[in-house]
Amino acid sequence: MLKTSKLLLLSVALLAATASFATAADAKKKVAFVPQLIGIPYFDAMKAGGTEAATKFGVEFIYTGPVDANPVDQLQIVQNLVNQGVDAVSVSVLDASSIAPVVEAAKAKHVTLFTSDSDAPKSGRAVYVAQATDEGLGFMIIDEMVKRVGPDAKIGIVSGEATASNLNAWIGFMQARVKDKYPKLKLLAPQFAGGTAQRAAQLATDIMAANPDLKGIIGVASSTCPGVAQAIETAGKIGKVIGTGYCSPNTARAYLKSGAFAYTVLWDPAELGYLTVWAGKQLIDGKPFEATATPEGMSHPVTYDAKTGILLLGEPAVFTAQNVDNYHF
Amino acid sequence: MSNPLDWFGRREALLAVACLAAVLLFSFLSPYFFNAENLSAVLSNSVELLLVGLGMTLLLGVGGIDVSVGVAMGLAAIAVGRLLQAGVTPAVAGLAGPVAGLLIGVGTGSVVVFGRIPAIVATLGLYGVYRAGIYLCLGGDWLSGLPIGLTELVGTGIAGVPLAFPIVALTYLALYVALRRTPFGPHLLAIGDSEAKARLSGVSVNRTQLLAFIISGGLTGLAASFYVATYRNVEMTIGGTLALEAIAAVVLGGTSVIGGRVSLIGTVLGVLLLRLLQNGLLLSGVPSLWQTVVTGLLLLFVLGIEAVQGRLSLTMLMRSKSGRLASRVAQ
Repeated sequence: MLKTSKLLLLSVALLAATASFATAADAKKKVAFVPQLIGIPYFDAMKAGGTEAATKFGVEFIYTGPVDANPVDQLQIVQNLVNQGVDAVSVSVLDASSIAPVVEAAKAKHVTLFTSDSDAPKSGRAVYVAQATDEGLGFMIIDEMVKRVGPDAKIGIVSGEATASNLNAWIGFMQARVKDKYPKLKLLAPQFAGGTAQRAAQLATDIMAANPDLKGIIGVASSTCPGVAQAIETAGKIGKVIGTGYCSPNTARAYLKSGAFAYTVLWDPAELGYLTVWAGKQLIDGKPFEATATPEGMSHPVTYDAKTGILLLGEPAVFTAQNVDNYHF
Repeated sequence: MSNPLDWFGRREALLAVACLAAVLLFSFLSPYFFNAENLSAVLSNSVELLLVGLGMTLLLGVGGIDVSVGVAMGLAAIAVGRLLQAGVTPAVAGLAGPVAGLLIGVGTGSVVVFGRIPAIVATLGLYGVYRAGIYLCLGGDWLSGLPIGLTELVGTGIAGVPLAFPIVALTYLALYVALRRTPFGPHLLAIGDSEAKARLSGVSVNRTQLLAFIISGGLTGLAASFYVATYRNVEMTIGGTLALEAIAAVVLGGTSVIGGRVSLIGTVLGVLLLRLLQNGLLLSGVPSLWQTVVTGLLLLFVLGIEAVQGRLSLTMLMRSKSGRLASRVAQ
């Protein structure tokens, strides 16, 4: 109850603020982004990118979201933004099944609702701004590994939960890449560590013991990265076994610097935030997305698939000891 | 009827044989199993589970249980990690683990004992609370790549012996003495056997139960210091499976799941057997998914034997505990 009334109060205050602002700034268009939760480095990075784009493209950027990744709270926040008449609202969706009615309500109020970072494909959203494809992530980690160990090596895989569909999809694309492009590379069957660094370290240690000729280990779940890296450090195999994984620069920084990890693969959330606000501006201006375009201020082109309505940031980013300090998420 | 505190009974002998059999089998199956490097990796991977398992032995013995030990370890690990980040001396940061653990033990024990809530229900609830606490403390951002000071301190140890060995040995010794040479042992078992009877006999039930939770908490906190020293990392999902693994090892070791019998050496052997199996199965090329199946079956097998032998019958599980043999309480 308290929460609702607080929210109400907040939205009234916001409404008042935006109303007075609108008259002052002569209808500067507003783009909002609602993350899954606020206060974590990943979404803070998206916010920073979005703010930069907003300055560049002359729109007002609103960043607000739930404090505890609660889908009901998130929906309420989105609803409030729609009611306020923000021109375009983007959401990193927590619950894909419950957002469709809000999309409808937004359309009725001529507010454009689109998704970013996490999609709700059947909701009728205007576009989905995607960070990377499963295929891109799977291929990239293998390609980068081959650059370092050659196409004729044995590589171990430590994953998280055996039921996690995104992790399994990445492993599937790793295996497909090896089969198509590097037939001599021996990818060991994935071992599943669940969520803990302790189990990941145990598995990585055992994989190295069982395969003295091992050249690399891939930590698929971000929770496995510290364990895999620590196992390589403890075994004294820095340089002999190349560690890597899908983990954020903050998680991997110490291991990239110690050499236990040679690189990690992920995307840059700041770029994703930038692209999100750019997409919002395009939608407000009624400009269609082109199949390939390079938004002003970005160093590489983004692609748009009209059939799926996905605007793709591009290739995943590779973080190494050299560039890791430029990122803070 | 054997003495419930028997330090080396039939179960312990069986477990020792099982460990030896596992070592022989895996040495045969994998050329990489039987060497100093791998075996010492198995041992160092057992440290946290040993400490938490020894605490859990007391809790099961007193007729309690704590399914929140994994997340409690997570909270204590955050304390250690934050202190390391703040540049505190490694020794002080290392001590913060057990201190935090003791405090959490007081909290958990108080909820169970004074709240008069069954331990499994109370600790399930606390599991959620502590998990949320970890989330709030970390805010989605893990502690990783922590300063190496504590790692060096623990790894170098005393005269080249990693600190884990003397600490686990001392812990074992202290618990052994507490159970055998002080009233704590008989009181614990009496309560585990029948809380009502123990109360009538003048045993301070609340104090004994609370003490068991506090000791378990302290050991969990100690495990947290080792965790941070080993992995230099506190992740959001820390300790997810620790409670279940500890309960499995303790029950394997012959401590009764419904209280009234404890075996410290059984817990040690149970932990070793679990870790040997996990290591050996992987080295022999068994996918990790099947490892949990093997340990699960092993547990069912052991409990099955108990049921057949009549040590733990269905009727005994369902019947009021006061109906159980009084001779087990005798000390």
